[in-house]
Amino acid sequence: MRVAALTLAGIKLKSIDQYQADLDYLLKASGNDLVVLPAYSSLLLGLETGAITYYNDFDSTLRGYLAQNEDWHNLFLNLHSSLAAEFGIYLVCGTTVEKPIGKNDGKLADFFYQTAYCFNPDGELCCRQRQTHLTHDERELGFSRGEELNIFTAGDLQVGLVVGNDARHPEVGRIFALRGADLLLHSGAFKSGLNCWPQAAGMWAQVQQNQCWAVEAQLSANIAGRKFGASPAVIGPCEITPGQSGYIARGYPESPIVTAELDNQARQSIKKKYPLLRMLIPHVYSALQGSRNR
Amino acid sequence: MSIMGWKEKLFQRYMIWACRPSRITKHLSAFLPRPRQPEPADRRQIKVAALQIELKLFKNPLQYADEMHRLVREAADQGAQLVVFPEYNNLALLGMLPGIEKMEKEAFREKGARADKEGKGGGASVQGRGDDLSLADLFRYMSPAVKPLVHAIFSQLASAYSLHIMAGSYTLEEKGEIVNRALLYGPSGDLIGSQDKVHLLPMEAGWNLKKAASFNVYETPLGCLAMPVCMDATYYETFRILEKSGAEIALLPIANLEEYNYWLALRGIWPRVQESQVYGIKSALVGSVAGFTFTGRAGIFAPLEITPGQNGVLAEVEPFDREAIALAKLNLEALDQLRRNHPWRDYNQALYKRYFPEIYEGIDH
Repeated sequence: MRVAALTLAGIKLKSIDQYQADLDYLLKASGNDLVVLPAYSSLLLGLETGAITYYNDFDSTLRGYLAQNEDWHNLFLNLHSSLAAEFGIYLVCGTTVEKPIGKNDGKLADFFYQTAYCFNPDGELCCRQRQTHLTHDERELGFSRGEELNIFTAGDLQVGLVVGNDARHPEVGRIFALRGADLLLHSGAFKSGLNCWPQAAGMWAQVQQNQCWAVEAQLSANIAGRKFGASPAVIGPCEITPGQSGYIARGYPESPIVTAELDNQARQSIKKKYPLLRMLIPHVYSALQGSRNR
Repeated sequence: MSIMGWKEKLFQRYMIWACRPSRITKHLSAFLPRPRQPEPADRRQIKVAALQIELKLFKNPLQYADEMHRLVREAADQGAQLVVFPEYNNLALLGMLPGIEKMEKEAFREKGARADKEGKGGGASVQGRGDDLSLADLFRYMSPAVKPLVHAIFSQLASAYSLHIMAGSYTLEEKGEIVNRALLYGPSGDLIGSQDKVHLLPMEAGWNLKKAASFNVYETPLGCLAMPVCMDATYYETFRILEKSGAEIALLPIANLEEYNYWLALRGIWPRVQESQVYGIKSALVGSVAGFTFTGRAGIFAPLEITPGQNGVLAEVEPFDREAIALAKLNLEALDQLRRNHPWRDYNQALYKRYFPEIYEGIDH
């Protein structure tokens, strides 16, 4: 399977048509089966196309976005559903704000999630994943936590979506791996100016302790004065990557795209040779239930 | 296999005699400073030392005691309050066995021949030579001598220098079973804690080492200390449990049987420290013996947010195959502050309740 991680760097966002044309150029040139967009993709495209209003700073802009109705949310999802079908790929459209619809009254709830969506090559929604661990800032903004981790099938692989801050919480990768996930698709957005280590402590570490693959899409953009920028990457177990670095492909924050071919046979062979998950000792971990005592 | 013919029994008695505490104590007393009261610890600056020891064999337990003393003195001279030794700190004592050098040469020869046959550098997986004797048999055989020896050495060193010393890990016999046990001594000379390795290497499991079923945390004037052993740091669960149990500093003795690679070495304690917000001290055994080659880089690690370079590393030795020492000051108040006001840590009880502990039940052992 050929996979790609996008940063949205260099993509023209002033109109949907321009966005579509630039994605078309990038994706057709690289011939991928599966593509991942970064977090805040919906916010960025909405702001740039004028569907969402800019305020003085990032937090105010995000608050404005949270207060908006569902029109842009639906338009954004429909657009990426069409793109997935047009390109014949699995497409993770990054993240948008999801306000659930009440089961009884059909009205929008007054709580919301940071949610990633994946569409299959027929343009159908194949996975919706709410972020399960929030940063301090996200809690302040009023986001809610998802309580499930969902797995779907893409080709021969079992796949899970890792949203934003979930990359730093190893429970997420472990739950996915023990439920059979081969590949984790991460939509992330780090403030620029950080070094590479927060990323290494995130998806790279999750991949190494679960012997899975990860496609890490990081946002490269300036949203209302807040700069985002980190390296897109495709990650695998160290033993089967160049220089044993764990990186199959890795770009710079300004790289629009990184792509790589996943060799699942090689991954299976290293799992067989050194079955890390089979060496877990469940009865020792009973202390983990209920998390920490503080 | 049974190792115990009459000659072996006789030699074991000799080893016990040679390693007897009174002999070790008397020997060390000639060099050691007089025990003194430890300075009160300042939680804002705990000076710690991670040792990287190059493996060499000692025929005489007194030489081994001298070597441990030299290493402790070097750390103490640089102001360390806590000194951390590596995993398998008992391997050097294999030198007490007669013929071990010959055995070692044969092991290397076999390793080389196998590597030639396989057309590669060869992994260090040769078990102990001599019929079907394994290293575990040797550990069991030596345990009655090693256990009192280790206690005598580190109890006296900790007391003389008023230090906390994590003596490294030793493969010791306990109620008929062999464990890979880390030992912690306090400035009074008392053994204040121990931790048996929980997650064993496949090789260790093959030796029938007994794995522990829990992790311990010890409250000391230098903070709450835990001692996961080597492979235990492969799993985030270990450090989550330690953090939940109140650990502030994880002392990790390692003896890595692989060619050194920066990224492979990064997979242990460094990400665990980032995930669970504890300080981490990694001590490493390096060098070769009996066909085994160990590499590593001892270091002292902290959450990114409280390291000057934001890289999670407070100190790390340069060589991966020679003796070295890493020293750094830990600020437990800064750690506490970070934990209280963490920018990204979160706890999703509903998620954990949904999946844990049942998620582990599907593991195919």
